[in-house]
Amino acid sequence: MEDTMTSSQGGESDMDCSDNEYYDEYYYTLNDDIDIEQIDPRKIDPEYFEFNCLFEEQVDRLLNETVETLSNMHQISPSLAKVLLHSHQWNIQEVTRKFKENPTQTLIASRIKPPSPPISLTFSRYINCPVCVTSQSFDKFYSLSCAHMFCKDCWTMHFEVQINQGISTSIACMARECKVLAPEDFVLKHLHRPNMREKYQQFSFQDYVKSHPELKFCPGPNCSIVVHSQEPKAKRTTCSQCKTIFCFRCGCDYHAPTECQVIKKWLTKCADDSETANYISAHTKDCPKCHICIEKNGGCNHMQCYNCKHDFCWMCLGDWKSHGSEYYECSRYRENPNIAHESVHAQAREALKKYLHYYERWENHSKSLKLEEQTLEKLRSRINQKVMSGLGTWIDWQYLFTAANLLAKCRYTLQYTYPYAYYMDGGSRKELFEYQQAQLEAEIENLSWKIERAETTDRGDLENQMDIAEKRRTTLLKDFLDV
Amino acid sequence: MAALPRRIIKETQRLMQEPVPGISAVPDDSNARYFHVIVTGPEDSPFEGGLFKLELFLPEDYPMSAPKVRFITKIYHPNIDRLGRICLDILKDKWSPALQIRTVLLSIQALLSAPNPDDPLANDVAELWKVNESEAIRNAREWTRRYAMDN
Repeated sequence: MEDTMTSSQGGESDMDCSDNEYYDEYYYTLNDDIDIEQIDPRKIDPEYFEFNCLFEEQVDRLLNETVETLSNMHQISPSLAKVLLHSHQWNIQEVTRKFKENPTQTLIASRIKPPSPPISLTFSRYINCPVCVTSQSFDKFYSLSCAHMFCKDCWTMHFEVQINQGISTSIACMARECKVLAPEDFVLKHLHRPNMREKYQQFSFQDYVKSHPELKFCPGPNCSIVVHSQEPKAKRTTCSQCKTIFCFRCGCDYHAPTECQVIKKWLTKCADDSETANYISAHTKDCPKCHICIEKNGGCNHMQCYNCKHDFCWMCLGDWKSHGSEYYECSRYRENPNIAHESVHAQAREALKKYLHYYERWENHSKSLKLEEQTLEKLRSRINQKVMSGLGTWIDWQYLFTAANLLAKCRYTLQYTYPYAYYMDGGSRKELFEYQQAQLEAEIENLSWKIERAETTDRGDLENQMDIAEKRRTTLLKDFLDV
Repeated sequence: MAALPRRIIKETQRLMQEPVPGISAVPDDSNARYFHVIVTGPEDSPFEGGLFKLELFLPEDYPMSAPKVRFITKIYHPNIDRLGRICLDILKDKWSPALQIRTVLLSIQALLSAPNPDDPLANDVAELWKVNESEAIRNAREWTRRYAMDN
């Protein structure tokens, strides 16, 4: 799939400046012209997204810079600054504002200080540790800001047990009902085993990235890249290392124009077994004429009622005689206007019918995407043969790959328009959406047809078709992608 | 098995010397980390008059991890399920190494006095407890009589 969505989008490749003075002048004037028009890429491309793929060390540096700034600003230790930032989604302005307003309350809310000042009463040389009930000299004891004293060995054990459960930034004091958190320096002071220290740092790093709205782990298998964007929206992100494409906000497969919560609902619904059970129980339809119950037992959609001999389409329940002339009449889902008066059973059947309408189309485009990958493979070998037998060069045929990539991109968006439409309320907006969806679908099928017959298709014709399909796609996204 | 930590020895000694009223906890002869527990049903509760057997086990990293406790006697209670598992915050995320066997058992006894149907473990019991408390209490009394009163 194409990866043109990086920050370099919109910028032309560097032109070679020739030493010809006239050309130089021309080049600069041209550049000035562009400056005047200065097109905002956000306006032309609804999917425009600026982001960087970072390695772990780069993320560490980024986080540490914020920690240092806060630490210097308020004269607090970097460890405490980390706790404060972690509890405020790394929003340094927010922390500073709250800190200026009420420093004590901020420290209490971030679980750095206890709600009421601690009463420290032990000054004897020996203390009994309440956890291991062993009496030891005072200097073996440590406490957090809450002054709950425990011996150092118990702290170590406490931290190790917590870390083994995957807990790091939220390890609290050992005292009963005490919520004060153990900051990083305190934990590390008590961890001696190298593998424990490493585990602790690894888990905290994960916590920090997860609490930072501008950072996202790449969901690719075994990929350690963290994506950084200052505009944390549900946009298409491509990992520079493993090439996984995902939504920056939810980390799932990219899903425009559908929203994060909606696609989650849809995927859960598709995976839900109850839908299958529903499918079986509702695998019947009533004859649209005499209303007798009919079970479909063959592949053909042309149905004839055994009772009244009425011919109808299983898909849309329309009269078969008038069917087939209008292709898209069957792709648009029509709600039954009298559904409120029907029986519960009929309503369930209706709900399932609606779901299946969208599901079938969603599934179908997903399959087509896979099939088109095979087409691309075949195309590759055919072009290889052509180049080998002297019919043009690799560069001459590159446009076909561009076309295939564009086709995949368009079909992908088309696939994700179906869950969007499923959850849409009826009305003029839905009509407009389904109109644009049908247009996009038609252009995509045209493009697919032309790519499959690439050798006989005129290059200009194909490029024209690419342009049309992509325009349909961006128009739909501009009108309906709401991020 | 490694030597028993001082903490467990101390706790066991104190449980023997100053037992908690209404609670008995005796370590098993062969395993000092396994306790046979009997809790008497609190007064003015539907469990009054019952003797409830429980088992308590101190895991390897006790007291850094909570003890594992389970009812052996059948009990009709919204926070205790069919298998005797108990829904109690201090046995889970609210555990603190400063808590002890004694405090855990006291909390369990308190749970018998004050069932919490809003945080249920046994859903059917909790549901009845919410919609028809008197019937739920009748059931709890009946179960106490049937399962917690013989011998």
